[in-house]
Amino acid sequence: MPILEASGVRKQFGGVVALDGAHLTLEPHEVHALVGSNGCGKSTLCKIIAGSLAADEGRLELDGREVSFAGPREAAAAGIGVFYQDLSLIPEMTVAENVYLGREPRGAGGLVDRVALRDATARALAQFRGVLGADVHAEARVADLSADQCQLIEVLKVLAADPRVVIFDEATAALDRNQVGAVFTRIRALKEQGRAVIFITHRMDEVFELADRVTVMRNGRTVLTAPIAATSRDALVQAMVGEAIAGAARDRRHEPAETVALEAQGLGSAKLDNVSFALRRGEILGLGGLHGQGQSDLLRALFGVLPIVRGTVRVDGHPLAPSGPRAAMRRSIAYVSGDRARFGVLAIRPIFENLVLSLLARERRWAVARKKLEGVITPFVERLKLKFSSLQAPVSELSGGNQQKVVIARWLAVVPSILLLDDPTKGIDIQTKQDLYATMDQLCSQGVSILLHSSDDEELLAVADRVLVFNGGRVVAELSGEQRTRVALYQAAYASARGAPAEVTAASP
Amino acid sequence: MNLALSTRRRPYLLALAVFLLLCVINTILQPSFLRFGVAASNVAAFLPMALVAIGQTYVVLASDIDLSAGTIVSLVNVVVVSIIDGMGGSGVSIALGFAVGLALGIAAGLFNGLCVAVLRFQPIVATFASGIVFAGIALWILPEAGKQVPPVVYEAYSGALLGVPTVVLILLAVIGFAQFVARSPFYYALRATGGNMQAAYQSGVPVARVRIGAYTISGLFSALAGLALVGETASGDPLIGGALTLSSVTAVVLGGTALKGCIGGVAGSILGAFILGLINNVIFFAQLPFEWQGLIQGLIILAALAGGVVMARGKNG
Amino acid sequence: MRARLYGVLRQPLSIAALAIVVLLAAGELLSPGFVSQRQLVTLLKVAALLGVVAAGQNLVILGGREGIDLSVGGMVSFTAFLAGNLMQQQDALLAQSVVLVLGVGLATGLLSGLGVTLLRIPPLVMTLGMLGVVQGGLVLLTRGVPSGRAAPALTRIVNEPLLLGVPGIVLIWALIGVALTLVLRRTTYGFNVYAIGTNEAAAALAGVPVRRTRALLYALSGFFAAVAGILLLGYTEYVFVGSGDQYMLPSIIAVVIGGTSLAGGSGGYVGTMAGAIVLVLLQSILTTLNIPPFGRQIVYGLTLLALMLLYGRQRTLRA
Repeated sequence: MPILEASGVRKQFGGVVALDGAHLTLEPHEVHALVGSNGCGKSTLCKIIAGSLAADEGRLELDGREVSFAGPREAAAAGIGVFYQDLSLIPEMTVAENVYLGREPRGAGGLVDRVALRDATARALAQFRGVLGADVHAEARVADLSADQCQLIEVLKVLAADPRVVIFDEATAALDRNQVGAVFTRIRALKEQGRAVIFITHRMDEVFELADRVTVMRNGRTVLTAPIAATSRDALVQAMVGEAIAGAARDRRHEPAETVALEAQGLGSAKLDNVSFALRRGEILGLGGLHGQGQSDLLRALFGVLPIVRGTVRVDGHPLAPSGPRAAMRRSIAYVSGDRARFGVLAIRPIFENLVLSLLARERRWAVARKKLEGVITPFVERLKLKFSSLQAPVSELSGGNQQKVVIARWLAVVPSILLLDDPTKGIDIQTKQDLYATMDQLCSQGVSILLHSSDDEELLAVADRVLVFNGGRVVAELSGEQRTRVALYQAAYASARGAPAEVTAASP
Repeated sequence: MNLALSTRRRPYLLALAVFLLLCVINTILQPSFLRFGVAASNVAAFLPMALVAIGQTYVVLASDIDLSAGTIVSLVNVVVVSIIDGMGGSGVSIALGFAVGLALGIAAGLFNGLCVAVLRFQPIVATFASGIVFAGIALWILPEAGKQVPPVVYEAYSGALLGVPTVVLILLAVIGFAQFVARSPFYYALRATGGNMQAAYQSGVPVARVRIGAYTISGLFSALAGLALVGETASGDPLIGGALTLSSVTAVVLGGTALKGCIGGVAGSILGAFILGLINNVIFFAQLPFEWQGLIQGLIILAALAGGVVMARGKNG
Repeated sequence: MRARLYGVLRQPLSIAALAIVVLLAAGELLSPGFVSQRQLVTLLKVAALLGVVAAGQNLVILGGREGIDLSVGGMVSFTAFLAGNLMQQQDALLAQSVVLVLGVGLATGLLSGLGVTLLRIPPLVMTLGMLGVVQGGLVLLTRGVPSGRAAPALTRIVNEPLLLGVPGIVLIWALIGVALTLVLRRTTYGFNVYAIGTNEAAAALAGVPVRRTRALLYALSGFFAAVAGILLLGYTEYVFVGSGDQYMLPSIIAVVIGGTSLAGGSGGYVGTMAGAIVLVLLQSILTTLNIPPFGRQIVYGLTLLALMLLYGRQRTLRA
């Protein structure tokens, strides 16, 4: 009998349908991978199972009995543990306090037994001895830890509750090879004990290494469930995308010039280590590698949002010391963040305001001449094929893809010569992505230079003229021409972490 | 261990330093400062403020705020005095009055907690509104300062037990209570709620219950302050708690507790309250011209508030 | 269609307008003659004073990051006193007194703004501290004894009907209303204010000068408090100690009633103006009912809580 069964789950957020009849079945002794492109609904489904979201429709059964959770507490009490993608740690509290939050060992008089708490935490930390780092101990403050350390602490927190069903939502995003291995060991141990694990990851290798069965979701529905042995990478990708994978050859019209638009020498900062490269005019230079290896940090540093400690940057031959977005804007540099909710859109404000914000900043006008501005932005709106009901409607009404288009249009309107794109297509539908690629191509043929960071490896390899592979804050490989293959990318990306760069071979995928 | 690290582990360290400095200055200006009787009367004067600040601390730790604290003090003050006076000042009336006062504080706190955690009103406006209501009720019960309580009440308050001043005993008892609470699962849940409410909720922390609990404790401590004022002034005054609300917030911030929640604690707030009182003393004994006192005090407090915030931030930037 | 109508009716501005109508009707019922021109004009004058203070409060709240200005009441008292002592009942000194006092308001507000933006002190704390300084400064200047008197021209402008029987103060308020709404909706600065109030990080990345924008909000709050102080002086002719203190918390309530979210980023001044009128009406009805001060207070507070039920509620943690 399955431990957990979710069927016919529906969930809507305002106008957006996140789940449209999704199913999932979990057997004991099983690691069940859940995959799908961004926005397919896998995180939403898991949040409903975990009790932190309420389904609009659908049925949830635990051990054959129907259950309905009023909140995370009830789900936790029923034995469901969740690793949240955006973590659920309290930054100002210690590791011990976080791992055992709500489950602190009690002593005399019902008070928290601090010694027992510390010891239990030390024992938990020991599970990841060797991959956690010496600065992590029970009394360390979570805010002082790095992203990968925080992820491991979150794993410990989930396991500390001794759950029967564990959901890992992108639990390995910031982890290196060894850390991932340590987590997998723990997951296999859970499996042995008869528990069940739902494992969400964007790394295909992990799916095939760890999972027993896999479910693919697309557009809020479950489209495929199969034992791992009975399926293949291509079959899964096909199920995710829903149509035959388009050939790698793309209609490309731009040709990078020889002149250098932006040049970096020996850049160093908190997350970057001796990064040097030259971005040519009209070129799309891709930043690849595993998530969080410095790609975002480089872009933000170039835009003046993160400090640069060492090294130099030159734009068109002149030195650039980016002190902030406004200074970067004056040098004709634009930045688009992939995290549009946090860094992109002003959700409750009208589309018009969102579109003209940077234009107003650049123009240094104090009055808003509505008609005139509308005239300026309309061409860009059309170019991006941005559709909306009215300019006065709040941006939150738009789909994720269209919201991203608004942010891009905002910057296109100031006609930048260097465009920094920080994972702009995350969580966006295929059609919008195609529109964006076409726009990027157009821009390049007009002489705009683009630095593109993408967590979608296929996209990066297909769109970029050259790809810089990041690992541990350093550029460990540069792929161009025939070398732009996934094998080469992964080889470089997974290169001995914090070690020497890997040899890149031009082997076929 | 560098300074930033120590300040983070024990956010009240800076307040402690300032407190000691003020004690020194105070002693220089008023040599009798350290004498037993003077010290005791200082504690008696600072105690109500410290009590309100302690209650406010729990609310602030949960990232909320209680702008009705001072009005609860007034309300309890007049209710207690009215009961005692109305029942003829007997021992029973005193006991009953005190009990009702405490219950009233708890009820007021519960009301605040329900508005904020269940009805999900914004804390600033909700507690301001409830504060207006409490102040109004206080005025209704006792339109003008007056009524008397039997001498035994203020004699007990300003007196001593086994050589230890009553006010000091009260303070020690309250500190003991705070220490107890600081080791309770509730306190961990409280800080988690203030640190990251969404994460706390996802982790299974009963966030609503915790917030209601914090407001209830705040109401209780405001009530205690109201009782202390009965002991100190021996009469009732519907406006007595007026300035205490904002002063309690000042004391909390001075003590190193962050308004955004999670960081800080009761120790700092007690020190903060005493710092405010000592600043008052220092200005008085420095014999600055009367008209300058308010401004100087305001400037010192502003500097201290700014300094406290900047230092507490430290490395986080 | 019905859904849209329902949506419009639920807007804070509609509710405020409805409240005004209901309160006027209630006032007339409870005390016939309530809705007379004289009464209404007096109400508008008092509402204007509150409304001008609320303008500054509105701005800092719109700017987000828990913006609030607790020093406005003290500033009104301070500037009223300062103006009275500068013009000393002389028309000749009126113009320069006004300019000087407005400058003082602007500068004081700017100090708060710098504390909030450069030192990143929470606005609640910063303006609270500023309040103490301003009140201390007032004591220093007055030595506890209020003095100063409005220039006759000021008193005339404020109190007497200038246009269509409407007193100058109300006209000035209306002008401020138009100007502020234009600034918020038709200028780059206004767009920037809404941007930083909605999502400061995104606004910064889009090139909005966040710190400058926010510091100016506080400077403007001080400026409007000064305007209110001068108008208050004109209204009462003599200076009374602490006459401005009563405006602080109602200014916040007026802003909330008017539909501006305390989180920032949404709302406008027209709603706040309606909110000010609602509050003044409520106060007036309670006075008319001969309810003693404590009763008025209780009703005041309960009404506010009731209004919060309508549109002051925050998001649930569970969607």
